[in-house]
Amino acid sequence: MDDYQMEEKTAFIVEEVSKIMKDSVETAIGENSYKHSRVNQWTTSVVEQCLIQLSKLGKPFKYIVNCIIMQKNGAGLQTASTCFWDNNTDGSCTVRWENESMYVIVSVFGLAI
Amino acid sequence: MEITHVYAKLRSEFGRQCLFSDRPEEVMVDIHPEPSLASQFILKTRKDQGLQACRDMSEHQVNTERFESNSCGMNHVEGGWPKDINPKDVEQTIRFRKKVEKEENYINCLQHLGSVMEHCIKQNNAIDIYQQYFEEDEELEESSELPSAKTINILRDPNEVKRTITSLSWHPDGGRKLAAAYCNLGFQKNPKDMSLDSYIWEIGGSYGRFNHRGMVLWWDVRKLSEPTERLVLDPGREGNLDRALGAISLEFEPTMPTKFMVGTEQGLVVSCNRKAKTAAEKIVCTYDGHHGPIYALQRNPFFPKNFLTVGDWTARIWSEDIKESSIMWTKYQMSYLMDACWSPVRPSVFFTVKMEGVLDIWDILFKQSDPSLSVKVSDKALYSLRVQDNGQLVACGSQNGEATLLEICSGLSTLQKNEKSLAAAMFERETKREKILEARQREIRLKERSRSEQSREDEAGREDGEDNLEQLIARAENDFYSLVEAEMRRRERREETPQENDVCDEREVQNGVENGKTGDETGNTDLS
Repeated sequence: MDDYQMEEKTAFIVEEVSKIMKDSVETAIGENSYKHSRVNQWTTSVVEQCLIQLSKLGKPFKYIVNCIIMQKNGAGLQTASTCFWDNNTDGSCTVRWENESMYVIVSVFGLAI
Repeated sequence: MEITHVYAKLRSEFGRQCLFSDRPEEVMVDIHPEPSLASQFILKTRKDQGLQACRDMSEHQVNTERFESNSCGMNHVEGGWPKDINPKDVEQTIRFRKKVEKEENYINCLQHLGSVMEHCIKQNNAIDIYQQYFEEDEELEESSELPSAKTINILRDPNEVKRTITSLSWHPDGGRKLAAAYCNLGFQKNPKDMSLDSYIWEIGGSYGRFNHRGMVLWWDVRKLSEPTERLVLDPGREGNLDRALGAISLEFEPTMPTKFMVGTEQGLVVSCNRKAKTAAEKIVCTYDGHHGPIYALQRNPFFPKNFLTVGDWTARIWSEDIKESSIMWTKYQMSYLMDACWSPVRPSVFFTVKMEGVLDIWDILFKQSDPSLSVKVSDKALYSLRVQDNGQLVACGSQNGEATLLEICSGLSTLQKNEKSLAAAMFERETKREKILEARQREIRLKERSRSEQSREDEAGREDGEDNLEQLIARAENDFYSLVEAEMRRRERREETPQENDVCDEREVQNGVENGKTGDETGNTDLS
């Protein structure tokens, strides 16, 4: 139990993180349609927001945030990842968000210190 | 992005070894392509776009607010009266005027205003708006035309017996009146009758008369019964009537009232001074040039020092300073020249009439070997000639009493550009040439004199007028040859441009004179 509690404080909780991610995307992009001139700005703000929120959690983790924005053109996209870490303590989370004109994929890797 | 995170870690956990294991691949995103979405997009058409690597500039225009202006004139007839004065009331205006004139400031004000007005008027006159800008062009055009003369009128002697017109004179006011003097030029008829038979033609008289008896008489118009003064034309200045020369023509220039010249039957021109006390002093000098009577004698109206004489077959131009010979002369014509006069408007143009009825117009700046224009006026001999003051009308009188009026083309009767200076230069050049010739001749004579006794005798013989026949012939030959050569050289020179180096001339002439004196017949010249 203690361990579980302690682990909770220092574990990578996927739901929590994914919620944070969804929120930040919503905040950054919202209902905007794809505009090439604004994409850079969106990616940056998404990543920033994620990170700020994650660090507010106060957990002893290294975070890696990745964001991909793809216009809905009819093209397909596949990404995959693999890790070599401590399975007990580290974790990752990927959020797939979309609106009418684009897909947004945000992935976070948390690595315990 | 300033994110700081402070965390705590158990000391015992520092440096703990990493227990890493591999987490297998996980597909994070899998989005299938959807071609239907592609139809929402169209291919962007290729577009040509020009690029330029240059600095960005901006342009900006500024215009001030428009200011409307228009000009209008104002005709100021009368105004400036103060309100209480009715301008139409003469009394009030006079009273007001007098009041203003008495004010202290009036004179100062007027002076100031006057100078302002003067400035404006001067501005007005600064440019002559009627100035001819292209006068020279017009003149140039005319010179390319051929000279011509047109007969306007022929005035015939109304008498049955035809008499010769010996003299013509235009009315001095430039009017169209012409006086013609007729006389029967039979042998030795006394010309005192002339005044009774002359006519004045509508469309002048001389004050000094002369007669064949060798005297010059002065007549006062008011007292025509007797001459006021007499002068005997004796070249020896002794007043000897026996040796007097018969006088034919008289020259009197109104600007030089004391001097006058007489042309004689013997071909001598006598220059006299009226103011001299004794008869001897009255005759100043003589010019010897013609072989026959001098029928005309006139000073050039522009250059009074040069005068024109006409006699025998030539016309000669003289300079007062050179007494030995004329400075310019025409070649010997086919017939006798009877009268001549200068054109009053062009210093280099003169007219002559000949016994064969031809009127010649000479322009010495244009051509010196021949007249510029020859007009056959009548079949009879022409005896007299006069040009009107405007230079365009010429009257010639013939043997059968006909006076013909001719109009000269404007090319010969308008003053050309630079003509005065060119004519002056020409006269000066010829005068200088003659002076040099004269000097040279004097030198040679001095040399001969000092050389031997015989030459002194010859010279004495020359003075008496009785020469050895052979010497006479030799001298005549020398003179003739030198004349011929000089004339040939002059003709060649004149065929070139009139502007020539004077020095070149003199050198050449001196060579010529030497050649002439030795009786050489080389006749060729080195035109250096």
